[in-house]
Amino acid sequence: MEHIVFEIGLAIGLIALGGLVSSKLRFSVIPFYILIGMAVGPHAFHWGAFDLRFIHSAELIDVMGRIGVLFLLFYLGLEFSVGRLLKSGKSIAVGGTIYIAINFTLGILFGWVSGFPLEEILVIAGITTISSSAIVAKVLVDLKRTANPETEMILGIIMFEDVFLAVYLSILSGLILSGSTSVGGVALSALISLGFMLVVLFVGRKAVPLLNKYLNIKSNEVFLLVIFAALFIIAGFSEKLHVAEAIGALLVGLVLAETQHRKRIENLIIPFRDFFGAIFFFGFGLTIDPTTLFTKETIWLSLGAVVVTLLGNFVAGMLAGRSAGLTPKSSTNIGLTIVSRGEFSIIVANLGKAGGLLAVLQPFAALYVLILAILGPLLTKETKLVYKALNKIFKWDVPKRSVPEQ
Amino acid sequence: MEIRESELPSIGRKFQMTNEQGEKIVIVVHDDGRREIYHFDHSSPDESISMVTLTDEEARQIAFIVGGLLYKPKMLENIDMALGDLVIEWYKLEAGSKCAGHTIGELDIRRKSGATVIAVVGKGNAKQINPGPDYVLGEDSTIVVMGERKQIIEFKQIIRNGCD
Repeated sequence: MEHIVFEIGLAIGLIALGGLVSSKLRFSVIPFYILIGMAVGPHAFHWGAFDLRFIHSAELIDVMGRIGVLFLLFYLGLEFSVGRLLKSGKSIAVGGTIYIAINFTLGILFGWVSGFPLEEILVIAGITTISSSAIVAKVLVDLKRTANPETEMILGIIMFEDVFLAVYLSILSGLILSGSTSVGGVALSALISLGFMLVVLFVGRKAVPLLNKYLNIKSNEVFLLVIFAALFIIAGFSEKLHVAEAIGALLVGLVLAETQHRKRIENLIIPFRDFFGAIFFFGFGLTIDPTTLFTKETIWLSLGAVVVTLLGNFVAGMLAGRSAGLTPKSSTNIGLTIVSRGEFSIIVANLGKAGGLLAVLQPFAALYVLILAILGPLLTKETKLVYKALNKIFKWDVPKRSVPEQ
Repeated sequence: MEIRESELPSIGRKFQMTNEQGEKIVIVVHDDGRREIYHFDHSSPDESISMVTLTDEEARQIAFIVGGLLYKPKMLENIDMALGDLVIEWYKLEAGSKCAGHTIGELDIRRKSGATVIAVVGKGNAKQINPGPDYVLGEDSTIVVMGERKQIIEFKQIIRNGCD
């Protein structure tokens, strides 16, 4: 353990480098964190203290990555509002349901056709169903699309995916982490996770007035410690119940989101989320041997999943948009925007690793996310080209006159 | 003019309106304080033809001009003459602001700046109209202040620096 600080420093340096490169190229940071993690690792070279294998620090990086997942999910919970979901309106509810139904079914079918056992199929479907909220929101802002008519639908679908993610992760973690093999045992553990969620949410809702009062702490330092204590204790406790610790973190976020202190917590937590989240993606890359990425199996699997996702997202976006009365052009934008994959796919894949499922899931998820985290934003940018090409086939509308380009 | 308001989770809030000429305007207020104003031509409601991005400060300045507080068109001048060059503005105390926990009297707002605090909206929308000098400003409370433009600028200076 002698060079541990130096090793961690190297790791953070590499992550920062990845971040710099990605912002230079104006891409999402997530694929770059993963790539840089994959580039180093046990197979990399070492020269004295300059050790890029990260063997001594692997355990520490792993723990920091786990903390990263906690913060990512905690933040997701904080940002989420049940009230907002209920207020979102019928067209978004319809759109979100269409999206989940089509893409989850396709994910299951894809896993099944590829010949995987049940648990692996469920993990694959999870990886392919959930878009990256971070990438989608960033792309919408960067491309100045926030004012477009389809934006509410896109963000609404993302919100539905978040709900789906919460429920799905809790069921899946019950299934995979409990290690029970009988149908009854599996059902029981899934029930325990769902029950745990409902209890925490119910008690949390009742406790909001008390939390409002007792969290009125002047010192930022003490406030932060109290929040972190709640986060880690509840997340750790949920793991004892074989509920993924990430779900515990999400629940704490959901409960605290209803308090008056939400904004303050959010502001304090963002730097921690960004730091530990980056280490999580790096650590995920670290565990993947790049040579496994380029085996026939991984490549075909990932490409297949990418094609299925592209189709599923496009069709779902089209249906959701058209059912909400949007034009074919706007509807095209929906599918081509929500196709980006990122943080949540990796979290689901990571759950597969924790449950000791087939090792091919990790390189598959990595390659799949790498492709869609880079291809997704490109497709979003070029929706006009895609629309024009498709318009030739489907003849949605005939251009009356050319609209001046921006 | 009808204004449609909608929430953009994790981005901000969006306001859409169509003016008499049939042009659509969309204003997006980002959570980070940025404002974006988009202009859509009626022939292509799917795609904006122009847009501007404003910082919080710029947006407020423009709001003064658009709202007629800095210069009122001649036609409207006789409607509220009494307001003259007085400005009413609101200012939200950030979390951790140096002024939180102090009273209006301690900050000595009226003597130092000349501006008058006419109302404070506190946590949970608790309103205090015409608060006295003993009123304690809390975090997240919004201070409504009235004065001449110079005085308002002074006032902001005080609020930013706290009471040291």
